[in-house]
Amino acid sequence: MKTATVHFLLEDLLVQAPVGTSLQAIADASGADITFGCRNGSCGTCRVRITQGLEHCSNMGTEERDFLQGLCVSDDERLACQVSVLGDLEVDYLGL
Amino acid sequence: MNTTLADIMRERVLLLDGGMGTQILANSPTVEDFGGKLADGCVELFNERRPEWIRTIHAHYFDAGADAVETNTFGANEVVLAEFGLAHRTREMNTIAARLAKDVARQYDRPKFVIGSVGPGTKLLSLAQIAVSALYHSYFQQMLGLLEGGADAILIETCQDLGQMKTATRAAHAAMAELKIQIPIWAQATVETTGTLLVGTDIASVLTTMERMGIQVLGMNCATGPDEMHAHLAHLAENSPLPISCLPNAGLPANVGGQVVYPLGPDAFAKRVIHAANEFGLNIIGGCCGTTPAHIKVLAGRMGELHARPRQGNAERSVSSLYQSVTLHQEPGPLIVGERTNANGSKKFRDLLALEDYDGLVGVARDQQREGAHMLDVCTAYVGRDEVWDMEQFLVRAITQTTLPLMIDSTEVSVLERALQLAPGKCVVNSINFEDGEGKARRVLDLCRDYGAAVVALTIDEVGMAKSREQKVAVAQRLYDLVVGEYGIPPSDLIIDPLTFTLGSGDEEFRRSAVETLDAIRDIKAKFPGVLTILGVSNVSFGLNPGTRHVLNALMLYHAVQAGLDLAIFNSSKVLPVAKIPADERRMVDDLIFDRRREHYDPLKKILAAFAAGREVMTAKVDTANLSTEARLQADIIDGEKGAILGHVDDALLAFEPLHLINQVLLPAMKIVGDRFGAGEMQLPFVLESAEAMKAAITRIEPHLPKDANTKKGRILLATVKGDVHDIGKNLVDIILTNNGFEVKNLGIKQPIEDILKALESWPADAIGLSGLLVKSTVVMRENLILMQEQNHQIPVILGGAALTRDYVEKDCRTVYDGPVLYAADAFEGLTQLRAISEGRLAGLTTTSKSLPLEATGIKVLRKGGSSVPLTPDGQSSWVRREAEPPTPPFWGVKEVSHPLPELFEFLDEFALLRNRWGFTQGMLSNEAFEATLREKAVPVLARWKARLLAEGILQPKASYGYFPACSKGDELLVYSPDTKVTEPPDQRSIVACLPFPRQATGRRLCIADFFRAEASGKLDVLALQMVTLGQEAADFAAQLYQADAYGDYFYFHGLATELTEAYAEGLHAQVRRELDIHHRDSENRRQLFSQGYQGSRYSYGYPACPDLEGNGPLLELLEGSRLGVHMTDSFQMDPEYTTSALVAWHPQARYFSI
Repeated sequence: MKTATVHFLLEDLLVQAPVGTSLQAIADASGADITFGCRNGSCGTCRVRITQGLEHCSNMGTEERDFLQGLCVSDDERLACQVSVLGDLEVDYLGL
Repeated sequence: MNTTLADIMRERVLLLDGGMGTQILANSPTVEDFGGKLADGCVELFNERRPEWIRTIHAHYFDAGADAVETNTFGANEVVLAEFGLAHRTREMNTIAARLAKDVARQYDRPKFVIGSVGPGTKLLSLAQIAVSALYHSYFQQMLGLLEGGADAILIETCQDLGQMKTATRAAHAAMAELKIQIPIWAQATVETTGTLLVGTDIASVLTTMERMGIQVLGMNCATGPDEMHAHLAHLAENSPLPISCLPNAGLPANVGGQVVYPLGPDAFAKRVIHAANEFGLNIIGGCCGTTPAHIKVLAGRMGELHARPRQGNAERSVSSLYQSVTLHQEPGPLIVGERTNANGSKKFRDLLALEDYDGLVGVARDQQREGAHMLDVCTAYVGRDEVWDMEQFLVRAITQTTLPLMIDSTEVSVLERALQLAPGKCVVNSINFEDGEGKARRVLDLCRDYGAAVVALTIDEVGMAKSREQKVAVAQRLYDLVVGEYGIPPSDLIIDPLTFTLGSGDEEFRRSAVETLDAIRDIKAKFPGVLTILGVSNVSFGLNPGTRHVLNALMLYHAVQAGLDLAIFNSSKVLPVAKIPADERRMVDDLIFDRRREHYDPLKKILAAFAAGREVMTAKVDTANLSTEARLQADIIDGEKGAILGHVDDALLAFEPLHLINQVLLPAMKIVGDRFGAGEMQLPFVLESAEAMKAAITRIEPHLPKDANTKKGRILLATVKGDVHDIGKNLVDIILTNNGFEVKNLGIKQPIEDILKALESWPADAIGLSGLLVKSTVVMRENLILMQEQNHQIPVILGGAALTRDYVEKDCRTVYDGPVLYAADAFEGLTQLRAISEGRLAGLTTTSKSLPLEATGIKVLRKGGSSVPLTPDGQSSWVRREAEPPTPPFWGVKEVSHPLPELFEFLDEFALLRNRWGFTQGMLSNEAFEATLREKAVPVLARWKARLLAEGILQPKASYGYFPACSKGDELLVYSPDTKVTEPPDQRSIVACLPFPRQATGRRLCIADFFRAEASGKLDVLALQMVTLGQEAADFAAQLYQADAYGDYFYFHGLATELTEAYAEGLHAQVRRELDIHHRDSENRRQLFSQGYQGSRYSYGYPACPDLEGNGPLLELLEGSRLGVHMTDSFQMDPEYTTSALVAWHPQARYFSI
């Protein structure tokens, strides 16, 4: 099974998970300090910045794309509930 | 001797002043000048706070040579002043402004006048941004003030919306009647560079509408310079009987280096205005934006070049809509009044009305427009329904979605009045008569006068319907005397209907009725010049078969127009050119119309015989569809055509067994709907429309079913579990199951298992369905199953709800109950399972799905940070900084407030509403298809709901909020009584509530208490609390919609109300931030604002930082929730449903976090 590591910067938490796991599942299972709201991409509570490995995130679905467009944010921001992990990532939570 | 404005205007052109705003701003007002931040921007306050500024501006204009100045009251109406918290001073502020200007005017020895300026406000009536009554009242107060202050005329100016123009004018008339002061009313429209008013109205429609509103001047101001106004001024010059005013800007504004610059200097401006005044015979000139006393001075110097010219106007009469003016003299005639937007005349319209498919009704209106109607006859009278309500619902949509003027058709004065308030253009009222004497006719005519409407008058008197030519003309004379003679309504706004009767009965009394009618038309046209005639032509063929009717109607219309008929109420798609009628048919039908019977020849008998022989006569058979009856029904279900399906069901019942239709046609179509939903090809709102169509079809078929027929596939009891108030999920399941052939008993919300089992005794079912949204409810479900097990039940149970997971159902619930326990992720999975249960196919369902143990998910923590953030000695997170000073609230304690709906709309998160609540997600749709769905479905639905909520007052938003002194102590927040002083030692303070909060076990170790000063700090912090509710009315309304099987509306309303509750909380939170002066970081971008784009945070119980709902109890008490009618349920939810409460932390580091 191919794995990837996700590094949550806020609490310096390093987690390994199978490629294709959702970032939400990884955060939930490892207790990462990311707050989720609606969990379907329309509230923005779980916004994160991908500081490394943006190319290792699954492509944006339309919901997330439309939401983030309306928010006018930079390209490295994603909604944690909408991302599947395809390779190593470094994640900074933005809800601070 | 007093010289009046009218005296001067008879002799010469009147000169008004120029711009006011820039002159005021030249004083560089500060917040202090406005009297504080709340009033910042309210220039009308300067009339009292800085009167010397305003006096000077008025004096400069008078000195420059202006005959009259406008009061500084452009925004001094209730709606605008409310934004500054000054609505209650509207009347007084206008009085002050008018008195001030009069004071200045009196200091001149020549006659100088004061014109009360009335601006357009900030809300567009015709786009339903404000209710008519609110706008009317807003202006009524302003008019009273201006009149009391001694204004010499009222100028309703800078009008962008026809509806507003009319409403303000009515308010002016009413205020004058109230105070018994009569002064002229002037009105000015603002035509944008697009060539229309902001809402799309052309100048012709403005003239048609306003001419009858009892105004003395109609002109233009603002938006453009004088040159751009030429085309519109030319129309007024050619057609308006009223004096024309023209107050242009100093040219089209340009943006130069971030500054708005008006290009025309005094000389250039004056040259163009003088040119226009000569060219178009203007009666009043002056300036608007960008003009100054210097501009007026140059104009004053050239006034000698102008001469007053009386106006003639154009006698031709028109009617108008929001968009256009339509002449009543169509060439070629007649003017076609579409008759199908009429519940008495169109079955389709009636059926749509019964289904409350108002969009379908507008569809009928638009069809008629396409088919060539010039005007729409609108009638919503339908036994058992609320005619006023239906009229409102139709008009709110129709006025912006069709361009045709309206004929309002009702016998109820209240319906007419409401319609006249809502329709922005000049309408025709249908109708008056003397059946009950003149009393009622007068009441209707009062409305026609007040709202500037034309009127249809029927030749009916106390004796009855006039049948002979002489009787018809005699009643017409009486009508003319009353309408034109007494009410002073212009003759061409009187439209007489001499009535026509059916020739189909063969009744001797009516054999000559068509001839009498045609002769009466001729007489009326000759005897009353200018008066128009109308006829409901198709009455002539009532009772005959469709083919005959078609030909007879066409020929009657032809002869009536020959006789001089001006308007015909007619189905515009059925206008049959006379030339296309075969000669022998035409002869036969003409003989019937003109009663040319001879011995052994009766045209009626001949016609009946001819058509009975089965000859299809010219019926323009509409090609509804090439589909088979069955395929058409299926298409109706899939497309959610709840109106069209009824007719198709009727057709189908002629050919098929009712049971066959249900089982082989309709249910399979619903199956397709379910499959498409499952595949992500169809969205929930469309599914609900399909269900509504299904419901309509089944209701239609039911009476035809054999008595012993059992169409039901199975039975289920549904309930939301004890303590849980969430209704919608369960109700959606009910809708889907019911309309897929199952019998459902819906027990409602908050159902203890004992009651559910009791219901089962009297109503044996195949399964029980339990629903609940809360995490708590998942526990209740399990407890219910345990109890059922104890009582030896075996009935299958299906569980569903937001907090429920398949894993929990299969592991924790299935193990405690011996009967089948099934999980349903959505209504369609529930349907699949219920089908399996009722067909005895349970075996495959209860095998536990393969779920992975946690370690098998492959998620492994490799390193867990250096360590968690250390706690302070007080046991709080050291990550939180504590140096910032707490803000000071404007008051301590709790306040009850209410906010108008438009303010809630400002904070509505439309993205979350459309995508999340309403389920418009892209699924498998292409980008284009999804965007089209949003554009053509979701966005219009939202617009209509907003308009509906504004118009109907279904929501009563109320709130309570306040500020409490508070300190934290470890994980607790101590809330003190409002009068607590910082100097009181902690142990002597009166604690009104002690709120415990959970703390994060790792990471930042946050707890909500950490964002407040500790008790030991010796300082007091401020805790803001808030609670908002849309009221019991909203919950009741949702229930009504559900009861009425209006599934789509129910779903839309629920989603919108839920999101509006959030919006209200967001809006009140913004107010709290302003009051605490921590609003400087508020994001401009709405989406950012909704994602915590502000300082501090708002925490609600039940969310990640404080998940335990029990905290709602103390909050409700502190906020005195019962005064808002809010109570708590057994499981600590707030009731009524559309309610939410929160704690507000001001601390800059306070954000959402999860325990």
